[in-house]
Amino acid sequence: MAVLVQIENLRKEFGNVCALDGVTFDVQAGEWIAIMGPSGSGKTTLINILGGLDTPTSGRAIVDGADVGRLDESGLARFRSEKIGFIFQQFHLVPYLTAIENVMLAQYFHSTTDETEAREALGRVGLTDRVEHLPGQLSGGEQQRVAVARALINHPKLILADEPTGNLDEANEGIVLKLLRELHSEGHTILMVTHAASIGQLADRRIELAHGRLAQVNVRV
Amino acid sequence: MFGRLLWKLLRGNRGRLTVALVAVISGAAVISALLNLEFDVERKLTQEFRLLGANIVISPGNPAQANDAPSNSPATSASPALMSEAAVLPQVDRMRTSDVVASAPYVYIVARAHDTPIVVAGTWLDEARKLEPTWKLEGEAIASRGDATQCYVGRDVARQFDVAPGGQLELDYLGRSARLTIAGVVDAGGAEDSQVFVNLAVAQKLAGLEGQIQFVQLSVSGTAASIGGYAGRLANSLPGYDVRPIRQVTEAEGNLLSRTRLLIASMVVLILALTALCVLATMAALAMERRADVGLMKALGGTMSRIVGLFLAEVGVLGAAGGLIGCVAGVALAQWMGHRVFGTSITPRWEIFPLTIALMIAVAMMGALPLRRLGKVKPAVILRGE
Repeated sequence: MAVLVQIENLRKEFGNVCALDGVTFDVQAGEWIAIMGPSGSGKTTLINILGGLDTPTSGRAIVDGADVGRLDESGLARFRSEKIGFIFQQFHLVPYLTAIENVMLAQYFHSTTDETEAREALGRVGLTDRVEHLPGQLSGGEQQRVAVARALINHPKLILADEPTGNLDEANEGIVLKLLRELHSEGHTILMVTHAASIGQLADRRIELAHGRLAQVNVRV
Repeated sequence: MFGRLLWKLLRGNRGRLTVALVAVISGAAVISALLNLEFDVERKLTQEFRLLGANIVISPGNPAQANDAPSNSPATSASPALMSEAAVLPQVDRMRTSDVVASAPYVYIVARAHDTPIVVAGTWLDEARKLEPTWKLEGEAIASRGDATQCYVGRDVARQFDVAPGGQLELDYLGRSARLTIAGVVDAGGAEDSQVFVNLAVAQKLAGLEGQIQFVQLSVSGTAASIGGYAGRLANSLPGYDVRPIRQVTEAEGNLLSRTRLLIASMVVLILALTALCVLATMAALAMERRADVGLMKALGGTMSRIVGLFLAEVGVLGAAGGLIGCVAGVALAQWMGHRVFGTSITPRWEIFPLTIALMIAVAMMGALPLRRLGKVKPAVILRGE
């Protein structure tokens, strides 16, 4: 398997606080990695840097050949639209856009919109009959499934999921995790932040962070 | 998708955008009305000033000029204070254009009625009322220029001699007399109220000045400049005569016009500034509300130019829609102002529509400056919920 993500001595400081302190690891294409650790350990910061939402203070984060820290604003925008699919704990759907429009928004910023494809993506996450609903008319689980459909619509190289089930009840958690398993089995590369050990066990490997450093690396599940 | 997003943005924030839209509509309505007035004010003021009466006077020139003058010069008149009717009036007639509302020659004498001295003006009675449109006439108008049997008397004259339309008035001058039927009583609110207006030939005959006139008055429509130009051309065709615009009227017209235009321009600038401020306040609030949307859009790979372009298009639609609705309202407002100020309707100028709409789009864009703040939104910070 080829290396999709290379992280070398990655460091991120927020003022006097060091969120990441010399983190180094690789991710192979097609791997499902669970990033675990207590609150404030730097998990979300790591995901944000890999997704081009934040820039490292030093070190390198290379995703599919792109050194994220060296990209300018427009390069980062292109990187995010072409290579990354985000799934957030808070769903982050645009409240005045319907489910299908939220999915098409990602298409719009990537290239051109294709309503049929967006409808199919929503069908895949089991929302065929909810495409014209606004986020406020959907349950939390349904909203997260819309976010999954949105994350997949541009066929990203890397799916970054930050506590994707953190706001869901057990039933909806099961649905979302089933979707992630399917994505993994189809060969998608997934980096998932989670607190829950039971969810972390679904991944190929666990990377545990503590105080911005790797506490345990390459723990094969 | 752009149009779909734009529509959703407009619908999704309709509460705040309605406030901005109302501001733009109000601004556009007043600006459109003022611009309609601005374009029409010259014509309206010209009409108003024509109510003041004649604005060009032809009188005998000074004798030195007259000596050098050709055959139709005042040298042919019996007195330096008089002009030959035959030399002046045909030339005035030849130079007449569609801008000339009315013209009439005058001879003034002080005759006697019932042994009381009274000023008698001999003129073309059919033209006199066009020259003095503010006259209020009680009785019959004299339509025929050749009617030598009737006259108008001023309100004070009628009161003094206790006469009314249909009554008789006998005028005496140096042993000559004329008995006339009073066609109407004139209420001019000025010196004319103490005068008698008779047929030109009657006055000339009483004075023994057949074929002689003292001056000619013309009422010409147009701007102060165009009236001056016409007076100049008329003067060139009447060498040796004094042809001049009545300065007070034309200058007053010019001054009022420039002051009115300055006032309108100042108000337009003020309203544009106020509209921009209102849009600015709305957009500043909207920019704060949209930080989360923008953070998400950036996270999804939206470039700032594309995201801000979307918001600017929204503001552009706001300006265009507000401008269009405001223009229509402005036409109605201009009509109302026209009736209130000038007592007549204002002709809508269609070129004001694109001008006002363009102004409103520009103002809305200026008001959208707070959206620039969105460029500084850090998606990671927003997505953390900070």
